[in-house]
Parts: sequence; C-alpha cells; structure tokens
Amino acid sequence: MNVKIFYRLIKVVLLLAIAGFTSCERDLDLLEPAEFPTNGDIFLDGISGGLDYQAFLNTKLDAISGDTDVKYSGEASLRITVPSVGDPSGFFSGGAFVAPGPRNLSGYDALTFWARASVNAPFGLAGFGNDNSGNSAYDASRSDIVLTTTWQKYIVPIPDASRLTQEKGLFQYSVGAFEELGFQVWLDEVKFEKLGTIAQPRAVVISNVITGEVGEVISAGVTGVIYNVNGKDITVNAAPGYFTLVSSNDAVARIGDDGSITGTGVGSAEITVKLGNVEVADIITINVTPAAPRPTAAAPTPTIAADSVISMFSNAYDNVPIDTWDTGWEFSTANVEDIQIAGNDVKKYTDLNFVGIEFATQTIDASSANRFHMNIWTPDPTAAPASFKVLLIDFGPDNAFDGGDDTSHELSFTAPLLASEQWVTIDVPLSDFAGLANRSNLAQLVLSGEPNTVYVDNVLFYSGEVAPPVAPTVPAPTPTVDAANVISMFSNAYNDVNVDTWDTGWEFSTANVDDIQVAGDDVKRYTALNFVGIEFATETIDATAMNRFHIDIWTPDPTAAPAAFKVLLVDFGPDGAFDGGDDSSHELTFTAPLLATEQWVSIDVPLSDFAGLANRANLAQMVLSGDPNTVYVDNVYFYDGEVTPPVGPTTPAPDPTAASGDVISVFSDAYTDIDRDLNPDWGQATVVTEELISGNNTMKYAGLNYQGIQLNANQDLTAAGMEFLHVDFWTANSTDLGIFLISPGDPAVETEYVLVPPAASGSWVSVDIPLSAFDPVDLADVFQFKFEGDGDIWIDNLYFYKSGGTNPTEPAGPAPDPTAAAGNVISVFSDAYTNIDSNLNPNWGQATVMTEVLISGNNTISYAGLNYQGIELAANQNLSAAGMEFLHIDFWTANSTDLGIFIISPGDPAVEQEYLLVPPAASGTWMSVDIPLSAFDPVDLADVFQFKFDGDGDIWIDNLYFYKN
Amino acid sequence: MYRNYLIRLKIAVLIVAVMILAGCSSSSEADEGEWRLVWEDNFDGPAGQSPNATRWGFDIGTDWGNAQLEYDTDRPENASLDGNGNLAIVARAESFSGRNYTSARMITKNRFERTYGRFEARMQLPWGQGLWPAFWLLGANIDEVSWPQCGEIDIMEYRGQEPTIIHGSLHGPGYSGGQPVTTSYQAVNDRFDTGFHVFAVEWEADEIRWYVDDALYQTVRSDGVPGEWVYDHPFYIILNLAVGGNYVGSPNLSTVFPQTMLVDYVRVYEAAE
Repeated sequence: MNVKIFYRLIKVVLLLAIAGFTSCERDLDLLEPAEFPTNGDIFLDGISGGLDYQAFLNTKLDAISGDTDVKYSGEASLRITVPSVGDPSGFFSGGAFVAPGPRNLSGYDALTFWARASVNAPFGLAGFGNDNSGNSAYDASRSDIVLTTTWQKYIVPIPDASRLTQEKGLFQYSVGAFEELGFQVWLDEVKFEKLGTIAQPRAVVISNVITGEVGEVISAGVTGVIYNVNGKDITVNAAPGYFTLVSSNDAVARIGDDGSITGTGVGSAEITVKLGNVEVADIITINVTPAAPRPTAAAPTPTIAADSVISMFSNAYDNVPIDTWDTGWEFSTANVEDIQIAGNDVKKYTDLNFVGIEFATQTIDASSANRFHMNIWTPDPTAAPASFKVLLIDFGPDNAFDGGDDTSHELSFTAPLLASEQWVTIDVPLSDFAGLANRSNLAQLVLSGEPNTVYVDNVLFYSGEVAPPVAPTVPAPTPTVDAANVISMFSNAYNDVNVDTWDTGWEFSTANVDDIQVAGDDVKRYTALNFVGIEFATETIDATAMNRFHIDIWTPDPTAAPAAFKVLLVDFGPDGAFDGGDDSSHELTFTAPLLATEQWVSIDVPLSDFAGLANRANLAQMVLSGDPNTVYVDNVYFYDGEVTPPVGPTTPAPDPTAASGDVISVFSDAYTDIDRDLNPDWGQATVVTEELISGNNTMKYAGLNYQGIQLNANQDLTAAGMEFLHVDFWTANSTDLGIFLISPGDPAVETEYVLVPPAASGSWVSVDIPLSAFDPVDLADVFQFKFEGDGDIWIDNLYFYKSGGTNPTEPAGPAPDPTAAAGNVISVFSDAYTNIDSNLNPNWGQATVMTEVLISGNNTISYAGLNYQGIELAANQNLSAAGMEFLHIDFWTANSTDLGIFIISPGDPAVEQEYLLVPPAASGTWMSVDIPLSAFDPVDLADVFQFKFDGDGDIWIDNLYFYKN
Repeated sequence: MYRNYLIRLKIAVLIVAVMILAGCSSSSEADEGEWRLVWEDNFDGPAGQSPNATRWGFDIGTDWGNAQLEYDTDRPENASLDGNGNLAIVARAESFSGRNYTSARMITKNRFERTYGRFEARMQLPWGQGLWPAFWLLGANIDEVSWPQCGEIDIMEYRGQEPTIIHGSLHGPGYSGGQPVTTSYQAVNDRFDTGFHVFAVEWEADEIRWYVDDALYQTVRSDGVPGEWVYDHPFYIILNLAVGGNYVGSPNLSTVFPQTMLVDYVRVYEAAE
C-alpha cells in the first residue's frame, strides 16, 4: 500500500460529465432521471476511484493512510491514526469520503465494513450521507460501535435507500482518543451492500408529544431508526431528510418540502412518521401555542470604543470568527436561528437547555479585556429561582481542548437583573469568572438556564472600568486579650504562628486570597470563596491550653438567612499527621443576625463548641466556607479566656394572679397592656430586647445604665383605685437596681424604689410596691417609668393593681346543672355529659389565659384577660344531621364589657358568625343562654369545627353544648 | 414441538446456498405432474372472519408442556382472516386468563388427518425475541399411544430473535424433546419476517424431505432415525404462534407487540400415480 491509492480520478470524471452535457440536444424535461453510477465501493484495497478524502475541521489532517501489513483481505487496509489528547496535529480524526459526482445507492441497504483497532475502543461515528458541504440532507451514522482488536464486520443500515439516488457522501467517520490516548483503527472492505437481512425499522423518537409556536419551525425530534439486523437491533442516526412526515391538520402544523414542521395555527395535530410508505413510529402529537412575545426593539447598542472591544456578535463592531453558535452537543436540545429585530441581527435560541458556542479554530485572546458583555431577551418567566448561566472556557496555554490546562467558570444570573420581555444587559468583570485561570485562549461559551427562548445580541469582551470590590474602610476591632493567653494565626496585634498557606488550592475550591491593608491593618481578602483550605500542618497548633476561638470577618455580600459562614477546624490527632485514623474535626455554622453585611463581625466561640474536635493538640487545618463570596478576614486566633456561663432566666416569670379588672398593665402577657413606648430614646446605653421565654414575652435590659418607659396616655391611678405596682425581675449580675415612677412637671417628679435584693439572685423576684412608696409623685398623673442600675435585667408583669372591692371578682359557686337529656345533647364542655373530643386551648395567638378551675368540685373554664379564645373540635360536627337546635352556654363575669361567642365552619376563608352574649356587662352572677342555631347563619351547621370567644375581661364558662328538644 | 421441548442444536446448520431470485414463477408450489392437491385452505374471506370451522379447530389453553407464556384463544383478535387472502395469527401483549399474552393454536384434528403427501404453507413470520411460530404435524393417534410414540413432524419452526433461520425436525420415540432429528436453514440475503416463503415437507413411507421455497435442506430416511420410525399413520396439521417457552426464551423490552404470523395458504397433496 502506498500513496498512489489516493490518486484521484476527478478530472476524468468531470470531463466525461461535461462531454455528456454538451453533446445533448434534447429537451431536458423529457429526460429520464439521470442514471448515476451505482458503484458503492469505498475502500477495498485502496480508496475507490475518484473519492476525495476531506478531513473534518480541527481533525488530524494526516489521519488516514494505507497499511499493507494489517488487513482483513486483499492487499491493504485503510489505517486511521487517532491522536492522543493534546496532540498538536488535531483534536481527533475524522473526515468524509466524497464522490466526485452523485452516486445512485438506492439498490443497497447497508454500508458495511470490517474493522479492528489497536485497543478496544469506541469508534465515535461511522456512516454516510455527509458530503462535507454542510448541506447534506441524508446524513446517517452509527455512534455505538466499539471496536475490538480482532477483525469484525460492522453494518450501518441505510434508513431509506430510495432517498440515495444522487449521493456524494459515501463514507464518514470520526474517532477520538480513548482514555486520553491515541490508537489505531484499520478498516477494510468498506462498501455498500444489499444484505437483505435488514428489516423492521422503528424510528427513534425523543417524545411523542412536542410543542411549538405559531410561526416557529418545530423539530419532530425523530433522530434515527432502529433496525433489526439478523435478529439484533442496530440504531442508525438519521437526518430528518430520510423521514416522511404527514400532518393531520395543515392549519395547525404544516410539513414543508424539506420535511420541516412549521406551526401554522393554534391547536393540536397528529404527525405520522414514515420511512418510505412504512409507518415507523407511534403518532407524534404536536401542540402549537400562540407565538410568544418577541422583542420589537433592538438591544441597546454598545457605546464602547471599538478599539477596546473584541466582539463575538454585534452589528456595532467587526466580529471575530465563531465556529458555531450551536455545537449540537449531546443532550443539548437548543436550536439557534439568525433573525433580525428592528433591522438588527440577533441570535434566537429556542428549546434552550444549554448550548455550546465554539470558537476553537481561532481562540479569543481576552487577556487585555476585563469585562464581558451580552444582551439577552426572553419571553419566559424569570422570577427566582429561574437563572441564566454563562460559562466561559479557556483552552489554556496549549490552545487545545483538554491537555490538563483548560479552565472555566460559570456565572449565574437571576432576577432582578434577569427580567422577562425586555433587553437585559449582562456586563460583568471578567474577574468574576474566578475559575478562569487564563483568558488568552478562550474557545467556548456555554449558555444555559431556565428561559427556553432567549434572544442574544452584543456578545463581546472589552476593556473598561472595573469597579473595585467593596471593602471595609475601618479595620477590625483590635483584640484586647492579653498576648500571653493567645495563639495567633493572623493578627497585627500579636505575633503570629507559622501558617503554611492561606489557600491550599484544593480541588473544586474557587477561592483566591489576597493580602491587603485596611487603614494600615493587614487583612486577608478572599474572593470567589466557595471554600478555602488553610493549612498549618508543618507546625501544628497545640491549643490545649486555649478555650476559645476568634475570627473577625467582613463581607459585602448578602448575609440574610439562609446565608451562612462556616468554620471547620481539623486536628491531626496524636500522630500529628494527616489521616492515620486519629484525625478529628468539627464545623460551626454562623448565620444572621451574628452574620452581617458590610460590617466587621466578631466570631468568638468556646472551643468546646467544636464538639467533634476530639483533640486540639495538633490543629493543622482550617476550612472557611459559605455563601458570602468575598470575605475579609482578620484576627484569627485561639485564646484562653473566661467562658461565660449562659446568662438569663430559663423559665418565665410567674403568672400574675390579680384579676384583670383590677389591673392597669404596662407589660404582661396576662393582661391587655396600655399603650406605651417600651424603649424611648433617652440617651441610655441599655440595650432593650424582648425575649420569648417558654412562650412568655419578657423584656431584657442588657448592660443597663438607665431605661425609661413612656406611657402614651397619662394614667390617673388614683381615680382607678390602684393601690400597688407589681413587677417581676431576674438578674444574675446586677448590683444596683431601682424603679422610678414619674409624673410630669418642671422638673418632673420622680421617686425611686430600690428593688431588693438587687444582687444577682438568678431567680425571678416578684415585688408588690404600695404606690404610696412613690410619694411625692402625682398618682393622678403618672406618665413614665424609669429603671436605673447596672447589669443585665429581665423584666415582666409590670402593672398597677388594686386588691379588689366588695364586688365578687370570681364566681362563688358553680354554674347551674344542665337539664337537657343526655341523648339530645352534643356536649363540648360540661361535667353533666360525655364531652366530644376538643382542644380547649388552641394556640391562636391569643392573650387570654385559659385555665380549668374547680368551683365546688365543678370543672369550669376560666378566661383571664380575654381578648379572644378558640376551641377546636377534634371531629367536625354535623349538627343538622343530628337534629341539633340550640347552643347552650353558662357564663360568669364581673368585669367584661364585651363578650361574644362564634361558631365556625371550615372554608377559605372559614365561615363564622358571632352571637353577642347580653348582658355583657359584669353581672357577677351565672348567666345561662340558649341560642337558636339559626342565629349563626350562614355558618354551615352540617360542618362545625370551631368556637371562638371574643371580648374582654375575665370570664368563666361552663356547660357548653348543643341540644335538641 | 409437543412438550418438554429443549432443543439444543447439535447438528451443524446447513446453509443452503441455493440462490432463488425473488419474483420467480411459482416453482415452489408442487408440480402437478408429481403431486395432486387433496386439501387446501387459501384463507379467502373478509377481514376479521374466523377461519373455516370445518377445517380448523382450536387448542385453547396455555403452556402446552413447553412453558409457553401465551394463552391461546379462538377469538378473532388472535386468529382471523386479514381480508387480503391470508390467515393472521396475532400474538398480543394483554392480560387474559392469568397470562400476559394471547395468541392462537389452530389444528385440523378430527377434521383433516392424513398419512403421506406434500404438506406446504406459504407464510410470513413475525419477529422479535420470544416469538415462536410453527407449522407442524402431530400423529392423530396421540390420545391412544401418547407422545412421542405418535410422532411429530415439524415442517417449520423459528425463533423471532433469529429472523433468518428456520428449523425442520422429527420427534419420535428415542429422539424427542431436546434430542430431535433436526436441521436448520439460514436464508441468504433474506429473512423470513419480511416476505412470504413456502415451507413444505414431502412425506413418503420411508423418507421425509424438508423444503424452504424450492430448496431441499433435509432428508431423513426411515433407517436414519435413532429410534422407531413412526410416520406410517394419519397426522393432523397445527399452525400456532407461541410467545416465550423453553425453545425461545421470554420476550424482552425490545419485543414489539402485537406480532402477526401471516399464512397465505396451507395445501396438502398426494403423490400422483
């Protein structure tokens, strides 16, 4: 085998063809279809006469040669040399064997060849119908062949040979390195054959339901044919041109002459898929929807000076060459179309899951640029979590795919930048593509995301202003811990121990670290932080004498939950070496409110919080991670400090006992509080917060110096008959605490009452102070409180009260016994009946304090300080079916001015109706009420599931039941 | 073909390299000078009509000793005329009487039984893993002497996963089940599920010959069987399409249903005097 087998007969064939035409005088219309040659040989002992080998783009140009040593039959085989990854001669091997003129292959049913390889390896693609013109309608191939080291025969069925009456693309192949290594493939006896054993075609259909828009060209998603060849299924990838599609309704979907489907109207149509006359797939239903909105105006024209721009696609600039705007990578469903919007060229992507854009032939050197720009427009929803992603890939110094030096980074864009039905400008610093180590050989761009249809314009790199990252302007607080008690890793306040690296560069870490200064203070700045390893394994840290860990961080990024910042400490264990079975570690997660944006946050935690850290004699690594992308770090140290025990009450203040009618409450869950300002700005240092302790609102004064409470209406305690001030307080560290009552004046009149014992007791102290103790304060005109002292104080149940007059404040005896027969009753609460299951005190956020009390042995419900109160029935009650006619209730109050009862049926919203219990005024006697159920119209009496009481005062309830006569 | 049918082909596949061009004259049919037609069914009639009950009965049931998976019925859904002059036996994937497939098994027992002659059928076969069509003869005395003493002549058997190969066999006492006398025939540049082929035996007192189209691919003489020659009494005809079973294995996900076995005709000739 030598080079001469590649001798081409093109000239001869051309001459014959020209001669044939020129000598023909007949009317062309009367001619029979040209009888093209039927020669189907491609390589027997040499490349068949006239065939031209055309290497594919980016392939090894000298991939094929003849081999007379390795062959299946005859004199020679066709050897394909496959390059290894990184081989400068080409990324892979591949090409087409193109006939000089059309061939009639309709008498064959398969391309066949014998093949072996130097290793068992996939043969990427083998087929025919590609004449390398870019216009091949009948491309067909197999991509499932795995070659072995022995000669075997392979068959590529022809999907519909009747199509191949004038085909120039006789053979095509492409094959790449296997496990990064090159190898050799030998082919022999490559030819078309009529085997007669290929049958039972079944189309490969992506989906039997497809969608599209009016006016859109819609892919049928028919990608190939499965043939039964000698009993085995073989899948051949087949171009759309092979298939005959038939639409059931041209007014919805019309099949073009080229086999394409165009949406012509809204509705559904059925597409029949045929090869020749044979149906080869189940019906494909196509649903055509109205045309989606499309941009009416061009994207904003970029105004950057042309000499600062490398443009991939824009009418505003000269564009660099791009290999393809749709690489057609596997699993990509995207289609790209060149359209115009208002006279401006735009790329329209449809069915975009992801799309590859390649410019590998002439890679882009964007090392002088610092920003990336593109405009996109989508009709699709863009509300979060929808995102649009841009991935840039650089082939690295070798300027070739793979080779170990490729780098890439993907940025994700979401609302509000992302928006629907408007041009969105993405314009970001190239440094945001933090994982892109180089940008001298940019070769690929991948777009992806949720929007299905995306219009793209003005894709360019340019050199422009890059806003400096937001940075702290003040240094982190200087640590005050005595240096003798500190092991510092990084702080200007101490001598630091040796740290091997502040960025180990572990795989998948995108982080970068820079040493910067903030107002003269050294700070580590991490950018693109997903996680970063910090290693001090050479000299591990023995922190056994330390009990706390400290780190200051500052981030410009959002820190609202669920954003988190994490610190992982790793100890190498007694062996002082990585692994060895004795390593231990623990990660702590920090979130808002500790975490905050654009301010220094001091993380200072007991080392005991790192509970999984079994040892800390050989600390060797720290890993920082979390959501903030940019994090400034300072003052990283271990120290020996006092570990403050947790401070604060763990149980709520005791419940007040005064009847609400006797109370003017300032702060208590047990009563309705008067209108007041709990934290007026009087210049105090005290930090006021409200804490829930077992569900009980409690006021905390942290670091008390003094603290006021402003009543919004002056209180006439005298007129109200008030006699005492009650307060509950708790402190573990106060040495001084007083409470003042204040009446207006110039100066105001105030008197302190020293709360004794002021010393830290660590338990709730309840104090009832006679108002006379506040003399000379005007008790008819009280408008402020003040606390003074020190330490951390918790306060609750601050109210005035009177001891009670002659009127009874609670029932002296039980409610009267009900008289209805048990069989006529559905009872909710009564000792006289069996009650249905219910929750008598559901948490509806009420202030009411509900308790059950025994009155002369009779269970009674007490609602203290009623605002409202619910009862939930365990099972919905069909009162109608049960024939119920009335609701009965007994109630008692000495102080209510307003009381209503509701029954409620479910719904959205629920249906409820109130019945006012009159007289609502405090009567001081048991009242029995029988309410016709019709009074609760429109509540669905066939489906009652809740009660509600609404009003005020202290109420006692009993014998709540439905009944019929 | 009757029960416990564990054939393992030990006999070398005989590839008959007789090249028959499609479209030849009907030379595959019996020459009237040698054979005289005595019985036939051309399956003419409207689509959906059940086969002529004076000629054909049905074996209704399942398994048949071969672990077949289908339930054989006499419903038109499983056996009826196709309106184009063919009988269509259709194997369907459907739940029926506890089985996941249905099909049909047609017999001429008690209707047409005969000793000797040429038995032929023109058929297009189904395809796919687990399909097992057959055209065969069974000794009519089976109920008296049992199987395999009654004898079985398999004119054509086929595995759907091997669409280019058919098999002809004899089962008799001493050579039945997994050890029949059998020969296989592989089509050259053709297969049996894409067009009609004529499958025939010519059965004489001391010899049986198997044909595909005009190709003779097996001849067995009375002294050539490893047991008793029991082909001297009336046999009846069976046409069936089994799904699964020991001979072919079960269908798999690649098997397309329904599958149809088309029979253009069945003809029986006696030797001309």
